Amino acid sequence: MKLCLELDHLRDHPRFRRIGTAALVAAAAALAGCSSTPPGDRSDARDRYENANRKVFAFNMQLDTYVLEPVASGYRNTVPEGGRTAIDNHLRWASMPSTAINSTLQGKFENAALATLNFLVNGLTLGFADLSEDDQQVDREDFGQTLAAYEVPEGSYLMVPVLGPRTTRSLTGNVVDFVMNPLQIFGTSNTADAVRTAQTPASAVSFRANSFEAFNDVKYNSLDPYARTRSVYYQMRLGLLEDRVAENAGSAVSEDEFDSLFEDAN
Amino acid sequence: MFRRRFLFVMLACLSVASLPTGVASADERQAAASALIDQMIADLEAFLATDTGDVEVRSAEIDRVLNAYFDMESITRFSTGQYWRAADAAQKSEYGRLFREVLCGTIVRNFDQLNGLAYTPTTTSAKGDKFVIVTGTFTDAAGGRPPVAVNWRVLTRQGKPPRVFDIEIENLSLLVTQKQENVAVIRKNKGQFSALIEAMKARLDQPLHGN
Repeated sequence: MKLCLELDHLRDHPRFRRIGTAALVAAAAALAGCSSTPPGDRSDARDRYENANRKVFAFNMQLDTYVLEPVASGYRNTVPEGGRTAIDNHLRWASMPSTAINSTLQGKFENAALATLNFLVNGLTLGFADLSEDDQQVDREDFGQTLAAYEVPEGSYLMVPVLGPRTTRSLTGNVVDFVMNPLQIFGTSNTADAVRTAQTPASAVSFRANSFEAFNDVKYNSLDPYARTRSVYYQMRLGLLEDRVAENAGSAVSEDEFDSLFEDAN
Repeated sequence: MFRRRFLFVMLACLSVASLPTGVASADERQAAASALIDQMIADLEAFLATDTGDVEVRSAEIDRVLNAYFDMESITRFSTGQYWRAADAAQKSEYGRLFREVLCGTIVRNFDQLNGLAYTPTTTSAKGDKFVIVTGTFTDAAGGRPPVAVNWRVLTRQGKPPRVFDIEIENLSLLVTQKQENVAVIRKNKGQFSALIEAMKARLDQPLHGN
């Protein structure tokens, strides 16, 4: 119910109307999730809206089968590696203002400076070419991570139509990050509009193509693709929140997870 | 008097047991875990050098590697979480067989992805008194694929040889993912362990989607 009220409030905000289809779809997903699954029927305590989420997941898999998977397959087969790298570069560049702002908000000033420099240097080519000679990688930081840094609770697990798994916190972060897109802020020409419009589907296709085998393994060979997707999402998100993915600094799994190995021994 | 002497002896024993041995054994555990991974990688590289792509030969090799380097008993038990205790002996045996079959199938199916990869060890760190994380990177010699970070979670228990317990690819634990999926299947079926066994049988009966 609280989630529904939060969304009502968001919908009334004038800025919300400007952020396009992705956020509307996300809101629809969150609304769908307002019917809570009884705790005894959940396969994971964090998944309050599991029944609704599973229906959305089934829809997403159908969409993947008929649209995303064939498009990603074609993209892999027809677009040369250099072209795919350029698109990945652009999508990464587009996230730099958000990374700079969120890094600052989290007190990661060196990363904020690197993101700003990367954005300015690569802005000459709209980010399609990586002109930075510095090997130091910019760690992507989103508003969901900023909210986590300020100890905002992660909320419920949501399966969002088209966008996939999120938590309430990360979904809220996505909406804010969408507003921080450089083409959203500065772009007023038709070209900027076209590039901005293409970013969301391009991002989806690029992600699907880059993780083609792993994604298909989950989709086709899992016992429960929904549960596996949820597990992968939480682990990856935890790694990002604790800066372990970018730094490759040890395990993304809490050591508590393994205590049961020795408790359950019989 | 006797009590004081007894306390003194106990304290002396505790200090001897905890200080020098604790520090030394952590180093030894890390060295042993690191050596285990190096040996396993060397073994796999030797196999890949002569690999013909024959599925049966690959399956036999994976079976051998699982026996030689992995703690399959602990992995099997951990992969069902708290529901392991609810299973009877026959179910545990059946699940162990199916789990191994699924695991071998998954590795065989993805075996070609190992071709052309070079492994470079980076760091080793102890996690508590039972685990050691050996970290390394797989890089594609041809440069077509980005480097992949891997953590080998090695179980190092007193008096037992070190064995791989989990593999984390890009910080994603394969075993924790499998455990959470298995537990979800059991919970969606009102806690019935048999439901997991039936789901695995059904999965194995269907043709797997190749990559």
